[in-house]
Amino acid sequence: MPRVVGVDIPNNKRIEYALRYIYGVGPKVAERILKEAQIEPEVKAKDLTEDEVSRIAGIIERNYQVEGPLRRIVQGNIARLRDIGCYRGLRHRRGLPVRGQRTRTNARTRKGPKKTVAGKKGVKELSRG
Amino acid sequence: MARSQKKGPHVEEKLFRKVMVAKQTSSFVPIRTWARRCMIVPEFIGQKFEVHNGRTFLPVTITEDMVGHKLGEFSPTRTYRGHGAGKKK
Repeated sequence: MPRVVGVDIPNNKRIEYALRYIYGVGPKVAERILKEAQIEPEVKAKDLTEDEVSRIAGIIERNYQVEGPLRRIVQGNIARLRDIGCYRGLRHRRGLPVRGQRTRTNARTRKGPKKTVAGKKGVKELSRG
Repeated sequence: MARSQKKGPHVEEKLFRKVMVAKQTSSFVPIRTWARRCMIVPEFIGQKFEVHNGRTFLPVTITEDMVGHKLGEFSPTRTYRGHGAGKKK
């Protein structure tokens, strides 16, 4: 199995999809990488030649932030918001949605699993249904 | 949606003038303001403000990292003391 940028070992899918297993590479970036490397997006990742793999790796290293460094950048941005005490930072500290979404219902991605509150309106209906 | 590049950052003229005056006289009296929508520009660094949150003025000291945010972002408008049986007020 081919290895691109460190530990990422995409499997026997077409490379256009396999590349997306790298943090920081989505549909568009994968498309651009393959275009620049002149590799057909339909080829299975395992069928790539050594040369093609190194071409992909080279392009990623030169042009894109991925994996560890990218994660660190994102963490740094959040840390900055927390430190300056702005509204978005406060929302990050509390683990609530940052971009103005409703929190009366939903928002479970940020808030985590439900903590049922007795006597709250709607609890009875929920448990019956 | 982001603001149009053409317009440039929104900075309240009057507030900006006040900041410049304060800088020249190196006064450390915080500037009271209601202009929550005013973008923080590099000239504001080190300046102290008191930003209205709808009820009171909250002190905000501008640091370099705050540039590009708006004054209102540092003066929360909502009160939330938490839910639950906690007997505290």
